[in-house]
Amino acid sequence: MSPLLEVRNLSVAYGAIEAVRDVSFSVEEGQVVSLIGANGAGKTTTLRTISGLLRPTRGDILFRGEPIHRKAAHEILASGIAHSPEGRRLFGRMTVEENLQLGAYVRDDAAGIEADMRRVYELFPVLGERRHNKAGLFSGGEQQMLAIGRAMMSKPKLLMLDEPSMGLSPIMTQRIFDTIKELQSQGTTILLVEQNALAALALSDRGYVIDLGSTTLEGPGTDLLADQRVRAAYLGEG
Amino acid sequence: MTKTFLSPPIARILGIAGAVLAIVAAMLPWTTFVLNKGAWPDKATLQFFDAPFALTGFRWELFLVGIVALVCSVVKVPAQRRVLRGLGFGVAAIGLVNFLFITAEGGGLGAVTAADGASAFGSVAALVAGGLLILGTFGQPLEEIPRWKTNLPTPVEYLGLLVSFAVLLYVVSLTLTAGGQGGAANPYSGPMFLSFLGFGGGLMAAAAGLGILRWISKLSEKHRAFSIIVLLLCAFLLPFTNAGTEYWMTVAANIGVYAATAIGLNIVVGLAGLLDLGYVAFLGIGAFVAANLSGAAASSLGIHLPFYLVVIISAAIAGIFGAVVGSPTLRVRGDYLAIVTLAFGEIFQIAARNNIGGLTGGSNSIPNIPPLQWFDGTAYNESITLFGTPLPSGVLYYFLIVVLIAAVMAVFANLKNSRMGRAWIAIREDEDAARAMGIKTGKAKILAFLCGAVLAGIAGAVFAHKTSTVGYESFLFMESVTLLAAVILGGMGSIPGAVLGASLLFVLPEKLRAFSDYRLLIFGLALILIMRFRPQGLIPDRHRRAELAGEDAEGHTLAETPGDEPEQPRPQEVPAR
Ligand SMILES: Nc1ncnc2c1ncn2[C@@H]1O[C@H](COP(=O)(O)OP(=O)(O)OP(=O)(O)O)[C@@H](O)[C@H]1O
Ligand SMILES: [Mg+2]
Repeated sequence: MSPLLEVRNLSVAYGAIEAVRDVSFSVEEGQVVSLIGANGAGKTTTLRTISGLLRPTRGDILFRGEPIHRKAAHEILASGIAHSPEGRRLFGRMTVEENLQLGAYVRDDAAGIEADMRRVYELFPVLGERRHNKAGLFSGGEQQMLAIGRAMMSKPKLLMLDEPSMGLSPIMTQRIFDTIKELQSQGTTILLVEQNALAALALSDRGYVIDLGSTTLEGPGTDLLADQRVRAAYLGEG
Repeated sequence: MTKTFLSPPIARILGIAGAVLAIVAAMLPWTTFVLNKGAWPDKATLQFFDAPFALTGFRWELFLVGIVALVCSVVKVPAQRRVLRGLGFGVAAIGLVNFLFITAEGGGLGAVTAADGASAFGSVAALVAGGLLILGTFGQPLEEIPRWKTNLPTPVEYLGLLVSFAVLLYVVSLTLTAGGQGGAANPYSGPMFLSFLGFGGGLMAAAAGLGILRWISKLSEKHRAFSIIVLLLCAFLLPFTNAGTEYWMTVAANIGVYAATAIGLNIVVGLAGLLDLGYVAFLGIGAFVAANLSGAAASSLGIHLPFYLVVIISAAIAGIFGAVVGSPTLRVRGDYLAIVTLAFGEIFQIAARNNIGGLTGGSNSIPNIPPLQWFDGTAYNESITLFGTPLPSGVLYYFLIVVLIAAVMAVFANLKNSRMGRAWIAIREDEDAARAMGIKTGKAKILAFLCGAVLAGIAGAVFAHKTSTVGYESFLFMESVTLLAAVILGGMGSIPGAVLGASLLFVLPEKLRAFSDYRLLIFGLALILIMRFRPQGLIPDRHRRAELAGEDAEGHTLAETPGDEPEQPRPQEVPAR
């Protein structure tokens, strides 16, 4: 069976600057897969390319066996890939509910949207309590919950989270990682980009290290955690 | 916030003194001699000062504010200091306007103080009174604005709304006619109008301080349909008030055309957040199309179509141009888009000036466009009799434009609450994030331009018949800027805001004619003051209401919102579709 998402020899450039060079990885259905790497390694660029916001210069992206890297962002979203972008990018002047509605913009099944909104409120009760408040007034952790909730509203097969723990306290970070586990158990496949390599790899079925725009190491999350080079480079050891 | 540098009892005494002084000022003479252009209105000149207690005009207004202030500073009213501060600003404004104008006209301070053994300290007293009233509110911090109950029995709420809108109708009629029609016979219409604004503004500020304005707006949100019907009714009743003269009907109809156009612009700027500096071109396109299809002798086509067809064709052609101008929005953003639209406005204006295709009449304009006709053949510029009341000529155009505005408002409200409207607002907030939500941002932006242009095109068709002459001078850059200012001043994305903004921007210049040379200066100053003290606009849209004030509706400080990062180079971006 082909993997849910397969990225093959992907290269992406901003003008003359090649930000991603020859990156390959795959995500099996039901897995949590992490991409880790130093600042500027090209992780965000990779996710933006998968969701159709950037075009690759070379390589293929296959989703359920079909190439998607020529498709428009809204088509990719509708086909089942949601993206919670780096820095959350909420609509700060809109309410929680309006943000969630926009997350479901590509859908038109009112009843299903309603049900998924309830699901988000169950997962994050604080959002439900303050659903009519402006998103911009929420704390960083709450905003991250909303960003994840908003991405879930398109009912994705694959949920891509770009640094969901950015700027959060250890407790809040733990909360987010618990949520990721829970989403996985509910059947969502997750592609996670994290600075927090230790925690990310610990919960991942598979991890990839991106360095200077290329994939250099891969393996099951726990194996990578044990790898000396990973520990040296990203976990500040030895 | 508010400082409290006075002890409460002293502040209270100052306030009472201010109120009393305002009443006294109303009874004092205001000028020591008859000015060159004629006596100061309302018997305020010393020579004519035979009846200190027979108050009229601005002196009556000042007297009223003074009485209200006195009552409010003695009796315990809710939000007392807010009310008094509002009234104080009103009193000071009346004093200042008259003080400045009399000084300028009379050639020095002698005119407003003492000269040749005579003294006329009215304006000075009013200024001081206003200052005292304001000072008197510095004893304690300002109160919270009271919240009134909005769950009364429905008939009571309806009654409240009816009364409020009746007052609104009265205020609109008063504001339009305040100061009278300017001209040689009435050289002081400008300052009298400004005095009235000071009076009205003071009372408004007091009402806002009491929480009445918020109460009304809550109620009207609750009973939308009812409010809309009553407002429409009020608009239809305006010609039956004092404002029902040919002159004011023409002014009101002009404002109406621009208000309808401003609502269209509000789609582009207010909802989708796209800066359009050449928008008046679409009004022009609509007007020229209508002029050419009106059967006017000067139009080279010589076709005469029924008006409803003309409206549809004007709208369609303006819409096509809207889509064409909108298409660069796929590639350019922000400042660059503004330049593209600016260029389009200039191209249109120059093309029209050069009589392109013989369609615009060039500098001769297209004159003698026949007026519209009612079903029974009554021309729209004839005077009519309705319910036994003779109404001035031009009133039919006024009615038509009220209907036009109502229709445009309905379109706007529906668009705003539609899926497309949500997409526009998302694009305005954060275009990249909107794209990540699956919004086809390119299509949405072109559609915003198209919708805005269609509305302007319709307004243009009405404009052509109403003014009967269409020439390029009506569609210059300045008009685009004024429309944009109307939208921003009223509150971006807000419908009543656009109407109020357009009214202010097109009434003020009309009313300030008396100031001739200083007109634009005063106008600009007023705009700066409004934007300084009310950056979110006069009637802000819910989404924007708090943002610029840095607070949300509950008064919490607004956190930094993401998505305001500066633009980065993005050469490999997928072009939006
Ligand atoms: N819009 C842009 N234009 C030009 N260069 C860019 C742009 N965005 C990113 N880059 C460059 O591309 C490279 C990869 O950036 P990217 O944001 O993908 O890194 P990242 O792995 O997500 O880093 P971080 O961990 O800091 O988020 C960097 O060198 C960055 O400077
Ligand atoms: Mg990144």
